Amino acid sequence: MKILEVENLSTYYRLGTETVYAVDDVSFTINAKQTFGLAGESGCGKTTVAKSIMRILPENGYIAKGKIWLDGQDIVSMNENDAKKFRWFKVSMVFQYAMSAFNPVLRVGDQIAEVLQEKKRLTKEAAYEEVKRLFEEVGLEPSRIRDYPHEFSGGMQQRAIIAQALACNPKLIIADEPVTALDVIIQGKILDLLKKLKEKHDLAILLITHDLSVIAEESDFVGIMYAGNLVEVGDVISVFKKTLHPYTAKLIGAFPSIVGRKKRLEFIPGAPPDLISPPKGCKFHERCPYAKPICGEKSPVLREFGKGHKAACHFAGELDLGI
Amino acid sequence: MPLPEREVLQVQGLKKWFPIRRGLLSSILKGEQKYVKAVDGIDFEVYAGETVCLVGESGCGKTTTARTVLRLIEPTAGSIKYHGQEITLLSKDEMRKIRTKIQIIFQNPFDVLDPRMSVRSLVGEPLEVNNLAFSEKEIEERVFDALKEVKLTPPEDFARRYTHELSGGQLQRVAIARSLILRPDFMVADEPVSMLDASIRTEIINLMIELQHRHGLTYLYITHDIAQARYIGNRIIVMYLGKIVEKGPIEDVIQEPLHPYTKALISNIPVPDPTVKRKRILLPGETPTPVDLPKGCRFNPRCTDASEACKQDEPKLVEARKGHWVACHKL
Repeated sequence: MKILEVENLSTYYRLGTETVYAVDDVSFTINAKQTFGLAGESGCGKTTVAKSIMRILPENGYIAKGKIWLDGQDIVSMNENDAKKFRWFKVSMVFQYAMSAFNPVLRVGDQIAEVLQEKKRLTKEAAYEEVKRLFEEVGLEPSRIRDYPHEFSGGMQQRAIIAQALACNPKLIIADEPVTALDVIIQGKILDLLKKLKEKHDLAILLITHDLSVIAEESDFVGIMYAGNLVEVGDVISVFKKTLHPYTAKLIGAFPSIVGRKKRLEFIPGAPPDLISPPKGCKFHERCPYAKPICGEKSPVLREFGKGHKAACHFAGELDLGI
Repeated sequence: MPLPEREVLQVQGLKKWFPIRRGLLSSILKGEQKYVKAVDGIDFEVYAGETVCLVGESGCGKTTTARTVLRLIEPTAGSIKYHGQEITLLSKDEMRKIRTKIQIIFQNPFDVLDPRMSVRSLVGEPLEVNNLAFSEKEIEERVFDALKEVKLTPPEDFARRYTHELSGGQLQRVAIARSLILRPDFMVADEPVSMLDASIRTEIINLMIELQHRHGLTYLYITHDIAQARYIGNRIIVMYLGKIVEKGPIEDVIQEPLHPYTKALISNIPVPDPTVKRKRILLPGETPTPVDLPKGCRFNPRCTDASEACKQDEPKLVEARKGHWVACHKL
């Protein structure tokens, strides 16, 4: 069942008299019980995609083009009142820094109960019962609902944030770098928890991270973003093993692994372009070792190569990317 | 590369305990001073030309170890020898001379580099404060050389810039150039690339490897990322709650970890290949704080294999295989 459908989404930021083309023509879908991993370097637009779906863009940000369908409803044309209703009930977000997501002077349990009272109109007693149930669901002791955020470890805070995200039984959870600040053993536990919850509640998960290792292990489908564009999208095995876009190949080549032969890691010379005045043609062409004249003139469109496996490169499928 | 033999750094019984500040009442009534035992008796060596990676989770004592071996913080106990010379007893002046040969690279170059200074002044500063160069011209030449070493070219152009005009990767290069200009033989790198994106991360690590080969540098590399450690390191030291639980040749430790903690740690590292399926070992609980340490083996409350002995006696590091040491009763 299709939960989220993003269609040709373009989100821009006004910066004085200029425009930052942060997200440009991005399309993908996520079904129930699926994790879609969105990867790319800092500033590639992954968090802007998330904020567009949540309708929590900063004041100078706006959706310029495109559609976002969430559980059959069009989010982009929705007024703010309706948006308030679909947040929490249809989609909720788990942020990287759990510490800054909770108010430090209020008890964790109170903060989650507040959501339930405010959004689900539960009575106080019912709300606290529900918080206890949610705590149990994410592996926290129900007795700790009276603790303050600082009494929780980083891993526990992240669990509490997940409990809060589940409060109104959403269909989609957006996890923006959910484990980046955590140690590897706790990271494993949180990722397992998300996987378990996904199966149990038929959730769709949009997993945003710069870490391709986490993407490889946790996602069913993957989208790779570069300078506001989705440059490659497909099922996780195809994207990693039958890579089509030179940027994807280079990015994968930059990640060290603890298995397999030790090989020299590659890096991509140069830096991503300025999104106020992005280069003409393919935005990656200035850094691409395979670039030909056409790449600097014409923007490549996303073309399908295998079932659902698409890439935006003029020479996709013709290059030996050394995978 | 010939086998490294000469010890650049030799650490024995190193301890760093931080006293916990007490309130007036507790100091009158109880009188017992408690400590955070950040580093609690560790031994290791670093040989010339090699890279030793110090890994572990937050709070395991890896950064404290790094700072203590440079005496940026004073050790509570233990011996630190640099090229055979005991440095824990040296005076401040003598230490300052040695510090030109031992350099440290920190995680966040933003914190290290003064935004009001140009790259030229930042990189030249170590020469000036140590009186190692005499003329402006000589300083400039050496600054340009150092910038070329870290591939900030043309150096004339970069020398004029200020920190806000540089990217995170370029800033870390400036920090490396600043260390390199003193021609050190030993560098401590504390999570030098954790703040950077994958591609820039690789660029900096490759640069560090290149510099090591060119100048015969020795590295003590602190990281929480074991995949990164495997890429840059020759040997690895795994710490848990202020103690070394396992150390040895990096490939041996990663492919065949012997300590239950190392096993769990390695099993949880994600692999950038979706066709590789591995089972995560889920440890119960979380790492306790290094104040009230468990009796016996520090890992015993979380170990699924712990016996009575593990709750009573602290295991010693023993050489289980050639060069591969482990501290576990169950071996």
